[in-house]
Order: sequence, then structure tokens, then C-alpha cells
Amino acid sequence: MQGLPLEGLKVLDMTTSTFNYAGKLLAGFGADVVKVEPPEGDPIRYQPPFVNDRVDPELSGRHLHMNTGKRSVILDLNNDSDVKQIKSLVKNFDILIESYSPGYMESLGLGYEQLSAIQPELIMASITYFGQDGPYADYEGSELVADALSGYLYLTGDPDREPVKCFDNLIEQQSSLQAAVAIMTAVTARELQGGGDYLDISATEAALFLLGGPAQMYHWTDRIAGRVGTRLMNSAPQMFYPSCIRPCKDGYVHAHSNTRYVDLLGILMEQPRLNEPEILETPMGHADEIDEIMSRWLMKHDKFEVVRMAQEMRLPFTEVFTPEEIVNDNHLNERNFFVEVDHPLAGTVKQPGAPGMMTGTPWETKRAPLLGEHQDEILGN
Amino acid sequence: MRKALEGIRVLEMTTAVAGPVCGHILGDMGAEMIKVEEPRSRAHVPGGVPPSIEGAPDRPYNRQTNYVELNRSKRSLSLNVASDEGREIYLKLAEKCDVMIENFAPRVVGNLGIDYESIKQRNPSIIYVSMPAFGKTGPYRDRGSYGPGIDAMSGISHLTGYPDREPGKPANFFCDQNAGLHAAFIIMTALRHRRRTGEGQYIEMSMLEGELQSVAPALMDVTLNGRNRVRTGNKHEWFAPHGVYKCDGEEAWIALAITSENAWNQLCKIMDRNDLKENVKFSSMEDRVKNSEVLDEILSKWTADKDKHSLQKLLQSNGISAGVALRPNELFEDPQMLHRSSFAWSDHPEMGPFPHTRTAWKSTRGNTGVSRHGPLFGGANDFVFRDLLGLTDDDIQSLIDAKITSYSPVTD
Repeated sequence: MQGLPLEGLKVLDMTTSTFNYAGKLLAGFGADVVKVEPPEGDPIRYQPPFVNDRVDPELSGRHLHMNTGKRSVILDLNNDSDVKQIKSLVKNFDILIESYSPGYMESLGLGYEQLSAIQPELIMASITYFGQDGPYADYEGSELVADALSGYLYLTGDPDREPVKCFDNLIEQQSSLQAAVAIMTAVTARELQGGGDYLDISATEAALFLLGGPAQMYHWTDRIAGRVGTRLMNSAPQMFYPSCIRPCKDGYVHAHSNTRYVDLLGILMEQPRLNEPEILETPMGHADEIDEIMSRWLMKHDKFEVVRMAQEMRLPFTEVFTPEEIVNDNHLNERNFFVEVDHPLAGTVKQPGAPGMMTGTPWETKRAPLLGEHQDEILGN
Repeated sequence: MRKALEGIRVLEMTTAVAGPVCGHILGDMGAEMIKVEEPRSRAHVPGGVPPSIEGAPDRPYNRQTNYVELNRSKRSLSLNVASDEGREIYLKLAEKCDVMIENFAPRVVGNLGIDYESIKQRNPSIIYVSMPAFGKTGPYRDRGSYGPGIDAMSGISHLTGYPDREPGKPANFFCDQNAGLHAAFIIMTALRHRRRTGEGQYIEMSMLEGELQSVAPALMDVTLNGRNRVRTGNKHEWFAPHGVYKCDGEEAWIALAITSENAWNQLCKIMDRNDLKENVKFSSMEDRVKNSEVLDEILSKWTADKDKHSLQKLLQSNGISAGVALRPNELFEDPQMLHRSSFAWSDHPEMGPFPHTRTAWKSTRGNTGVSRHGPLFGGANDFVFRDLLGLTDDDIQSLIDAKITSYSPVTD
């Protein structure tokens, strides 16, 4: 029997922090991913949350999640002999992923031109905040600034307040996900046609990709979308409504109309006003009033009740969950989404499992490596 | 050079956003995309579509911008799969495809007779991809939901927004593009497995579970420490100042992240505020995080009368991470996006040049950009009926008469 779908692919992962995600995806489906770390370890090892809040490079939850299934080797890029070591490793590797600033790898002799001279079939993916070239290439990058320069930040938040960033390092992770897609494109091309590829991934463009329609809407209609809280951006009065987050008795729900059977909302909430033609013909035009009417009903029920009753009527309401509610969620637990991973220092860690299911060749969540754990077997000492 | 997925044929039967995004990524990379549309779809076109170009037929249903964007690099097959004859055509077509993508509620494909088991009987090596909101098993399997509703269940809404206000929503939504990208990755992984073994398989891409990959730090704070995190707005756990500040002009904002001692020193210098540097309240990053609200106020006053673009240049030329919160109208003239061709243009036969948001990479062998314009209604009909399935003019006419297919949206 053949093993996992990416078996046989060898990957040098020189990314840091949240850019680690591409390597995790490749490892989970069977690639041999070697994480190259500086002597003190990838910075992600120093980022919270930690197991029992103990700051320790082996106990970072981010590291334990982002580096599943990888092997670890310490190679110091400030040390010439270690850089030479990387060059000699590259000869036997198919893929190199890195997230250093543009020009840094070249300055070490590890740029694509230099490495493809040694390994002509090499697929190299570089992830940066703004891309390898262009007027912003040498800008100081950050999650927040990539968010800003993509247009995504401007559209997140309330109209009467400053734009607000989305949770955590969402955009860095998206850029690494884009890198994984790009790498599989290049793997396909290489296996069918031969030859390597250099992939230049921009986190700003990864956020632009999330933006969806507002850019195109401006191009074609001159309408400039703005922040609308949790409503949808198309604010034409005849647009359906609700699609928004509203408070209920014990928290919040996402309220959504059934766009085909528009009278269901009024029936569920026993509010005849919601089914008057004036509202049904221009729901978005009456958004504030609809919010107020919904509140009368929502504040009488808890979120699970609200969603159960709405979904029974085919109104696609959902709960606004907190992280704790997600970890304890029956649906996810029945599907065994969370996995318990044994780690020699962290103990048994409950963490997210597969991002998607391949029924023929299932994903594997193997524990993250200790710093330098595979030094000897990788360097052949 | 040929694009990577040339020679791969994909049958797409999707709605909303996540499924179409997955399909257009494969199409952008060269796959031959056949998007199946119900003959009555696109019949009701909301007002406000862009005009047709001179000399082109006036068919508003081909000019819906969101649809064109999400379905570029595809062609459209008009087919009513709910009819017996339509289903048989669909199954025959599936025999000639490598991949099928669907994103209906779990019960729908079973009812239509195009679930994995039915397709597999006709084409054992097909890669069949379902993209349900919550998966095909478990208590939520039959729930209806759209992108923002899944963002709500993923914790992203709870964790995004202002600490003193209600939960938020990242721009339009987050989970759709995320699921589309994950599915495209997994499909190419499955294609590799099939090249090596000849085996197809069933893939289930739960939109929620794909999204939870990004919520891991908050989820693991629960499992490791029993801590239930809340939203923190623009504040950063480790860095300050870190925020979005008002500049001169309508909706003019600059984002600024001070992530090192050096950047802090530079900022004090540019602001001509040596007193801040010497203030014990701000002497270390930890102190600055603790007193970030005072800093935010000082910065807001400083940026208020400044031009956002000049400020971005000034701060960046001094090694400070800063950037304008670009508005949708500014994206097309942003020098970095222009330089990198972040928008890939197609030539739409009825709309003219159309700017598509391309995937986030450049490739030296050209595996990037888009492959063709958005789908004209029924644009793949002749190719599928005549070239792939060998139907005659009479066969096709009888399908049209039975409203199983159409060359323009069926309105009655």
C-alpha cells in the first residue's frame, strides 16, 4: 500500500512564527519537513500561550500547533559552516520555504538563483509582508501594516470608530496557506513537466485576496465600501437583512434571514411588523428598526435556544462562540476534531487536528519537535 | 510554458463563495473548469450592473461583478441536474472529469443522486470534494449557514473588534476564502496521490474546521491554561504603541506597530519627543504595553493634522512599521500593487477589461494570474454536449425544449 499523499517530498522549512503554517500542512499529509532553527529556537517558541503559563521554548502552544509533524535541526545563519551545511542539504531537498526579509537569503548565498544552480529542480517559496520587489519591498513589515496596506483593515470595524485589526496573526497565516497552495502548484508542474519554480508570496496580497468584492465594486460602480460593523457591505435598501451579530439573553448570535422565504423571521419572532410589505421590500433600508424589533425577542432567549428555534425554521442563525465554548462543543468533539498529542515535556496536549479530511489518505497530527531533536539524523553525524 | 493544472478537468457545482473560490484557484492554475448552473440561475439580475461594451450583446446576467470575479477562469454549463435526463448527462460528464467540487448542505447531493457513491460507481478514480459549513457528520451537519455565520461559530467574531463593544467581523468575512484555499491545496495533494497510485478519494473540507486552524492560540489557551480570551482591538499582547490613528482628511488612517527598541527611539526622534524616551512609564516595551492608552492618545494628537501618505513614507524611511489603511478606491493606484500586478486583468467580451484579485504569489514559471474571463451563461454547453458527449443538434434541441439546458437564463 502506498502511504500518505505527499510521501517522498523533502522540505526545508526556514520560516518563522506564524509563517510556519505551510510546513505544517505539507507535513500533515506526509512530506518530510525539516525545520531549520537558530540556536535559541524559532521565535514562535517564545510566544504565548504556554503550557500552564510556563515560559519555555518547548512549551509554547503556538509552536506545538504550528510545527506538528516536523523534524528540527539547529543551524546558525550567522555561522559560515552552518550556511554551507544548508547548501549541501538543499541538494537532497525538493522544497525550501523561508520568511526572511527580501535580500537576506541572497546575502548568505541562499537565494533562488544560487540554490537552483546547485539543485535545478528546487521549488523555493519566499513569504514576506509585501513581496520581493517593488517600492514597499524594504518596508518594515508587521501583521497590522500588511492588514492596512491590503485594504482589509479599513473595512473591519464600526463606522464611527477607527479601523480595527482582525484577531491575532490571521493574515500571516493566510500568506503561509497561500504558500502551501503555490507549492503544490509547483510540485504538480515539476512532476508532470520537470523544472523548479520560485514563488514570491506577499502577506499583503493574501489579505487582499480575503477582501473579496469591494475593490471590484469600486472599479465598476465608483462606490467606496466602508466599515459597517457586522452587517454586509452591500447596503442597497432592497438588499436582504438581517445578516449581523446581535445580543441575546446570555451572549450574542449571528442573525441571518432566509433569503428565499422572507416571512420566516417575522413568524419565528411573532412580530407582524417584520412582515409588512414596507419592510419586506427594503429590508436593508430598515436595518435599524429590524435590529430593535429582533432585540425584543432575542433578549428573552439564550443563544442555543435562539439558534435551535431559528434553524428548525431554516433561518441560518448561529451562535457567537467563545474559545471555551468551541473547545467544549459537542459537534466538534463528536467529529474528533480536537486531538490529544503526547509530548515528552508538555505532556498530553489537546489541540486542533486536521484542517480538512482526505478519507483515502488521512491527515496525521504528530507532535512538534524539540529544538534540535533531529540534529544527528539530519546532518548525518 | 503550460500552466500546472492543464489537462485536469474539474466539474464544479457550487454556490455562495467558498466553493467558487476553490474552483477559480484551480482554474487560475490552468485546470479546465466546468461550472454547472441551473438553467433558471442568473434569471433575476439585481439593478446596477455595469453597462455592456460597444458592439457586445446587452446581457446583464453576464455582467454581475461579484459573480464574474468569483468564477473567472471557468466556463459555464447550463444543466438542470434535478431532472432524470439532466442527472444522467451530469453522471456521463463526471466520467470524463478528474475532480468534482460541491458545497451544498449535506442532504442535497444525496437527493440529487450525485453524491460520492453515485459518482464513484461511474468514475472510481474521481477526486470528490465536499465543502460543507460544518462537515457531513455531527449535530450541526444539517444547519444552514453562510460565511459570517461560520465566522461567528469559529471564535473569530468573539476575538475581533473593540474590547468595549459587541463582537466584530473581519471585513466582509474570512472563512470562505480560507476554505477555498485549503480545499485547493488538498485537491492538488489528492491529485499527486492519484498520479502515484491511480486511486481517487472523497475529501471533506469543513469550513469551520479549516477556520479553527487560525484560532489555535486562543483555543490552546483554554486547553493549556483554562483561560477564555476576549477581543483586544488594535492592542498587541507584546508591542506598543500598536494601533490605527486618524490623519488629516476624510477616513484617513495610519496603522503603526512599534516592535523594537530601535523603532521606539526613532519614533521619539521623529516626533521630537525626547521626554517620552526618558519617561519611566515608557522605558521598556513592557512598560509601554502597560501604558499603551496614554501613548495612543499622544500619537493620535500627533498624527491628526498629517497627510497619511507622507507620514507612511516618513515613518518607513526611519525603519518604523507603518502603513495607510487603504480604502477600496486606493488599491488600484497603490504603487506596490501596481508594481506587482496584484490585480490580474482579463478581457471580458461583454464588459471589457476586468481586474481580478489574483492569488498572493508570483511564480517564475507563470503559475499565477488568471486563465480567462468570467463565464458567459452556457458558454461550455457546446463543448460539453458536442465535443465531450457527442450529442447531435436534435439531442440538444430536445434538452432545450425540456428546459434541461439553455443558452440564456430560463425565466418562466
